[in-house]
Amino acid sequence: MTRLARYAAVLCIVGLMVVLTLSFKHDPHDIRTGTVGKSAPAFDAPALAGPVRISLDGYRGKVIVLNFWASWCVPCKEENPALTQVWERYRGSDVVLLGVVFQDLPDAARAYTAHLGNTWPSALDPDGRIALSYGVVGPPETFFIGPDGIIAGRHLGPIDADTLITAIETLRPAARK
Amino acid sequence: MSRRWLVLLAALVTLAALGWSARPQPLTASERVDRISAELRCPVCQGLSVQDSPSETARNMRDLVEARVAAGRTDEQIRDEFRRSYGDWILLSPPLLSPSGLVWIGPVAAVLFGALLALRALRKTRAPVGGAAAEPTAAEIAGLRAQVARDDGA
Repeated sequence: MTRLARYAAVLCIVGLMVVLTLSFKHDPHDIRTGTVGKSAPAFDAPALAGPVRISLDGYRGKVIVLNFWASWCVPCKEENPALTQVWERYRGSDVVLLGVVFQDLPDAARAYTAHLGNTWPSALDPDGRIALSYGVVGPPETFFIGPDGIIAGRHLGPIDADTLITAIETLRPAARK
Repeated sequence: MSRRWLVLLAALVTLAALGWSARPQPLTASERVDRISAELRCPVCQGLSVQDSPSETARNMRDLVEARVAAGRTDEQIRDEFRRSYGDWILLSPPLLSPSGLVWIGPVAAVLFGALLALRALRKTRAPVGGAAAEPTAAEIAGLRAQVARDDGA
């Protein structure tokens, strides 16, 4: 075997090791999204609860927790106590909890919120445009938007109260400035 | 007209017809929607394109493509909109100039490198061992001739 071939073999093995190491470090459930670190896509959508509309621009300067959910989604029900806890804790402050109904019938979504006693606002997304603009794969998904309107983080799957509070508190100092 | 000219004329006409049929033709809006949808990955499916998936997400994506085509957006602008939301992952064929482009570049580079190694190995096997044979000196030639003469006389 020539020297060049030996070097090539070593290079291939090292390259393979690097690729495998990086691949195993990557969480397979964390499907990449292009939106983290970028401006949160604006939306103006009908509210689930009534005739008003919910516009993201109306919450500029606040920390926004944007949660995509559906009444048919079992993990959404699992995370609901954590969302309720956060809603009660930050209600009326510089933190806003907003829901977006994902591929669901409005009546089913209303029955779900009434049954669980959710009182935070949720927007309807009948054509899925809001979900597509955020790169949502499936509910539940939660986005953390800073007061500067930049998406600071994204959580796939059911979220717990600790994760929510940690993310919110990381972004709050910027909101107070 | 000779037979040769007839064959040439027939060949020219055939080539012209082929060229005419292969000319780039403007796609209809529906064809553009189909083409772009076939390039986009359905995010909730296993390896299916938006075009092939019956899921609601895929249907929403297709509707969005249709709306953007109707609004006069170019194919590139529509693809970029999905890439902004989902990253390069949303394209079934990753773009060449991106980290995912290694999928295209890697095998080509490996084949080229292998070809280079094979070429080097081939050159080595063809090269005469110990380098090119030196021309015999006059004394060596004379010695050989004497040897041949002795052998003939024996």
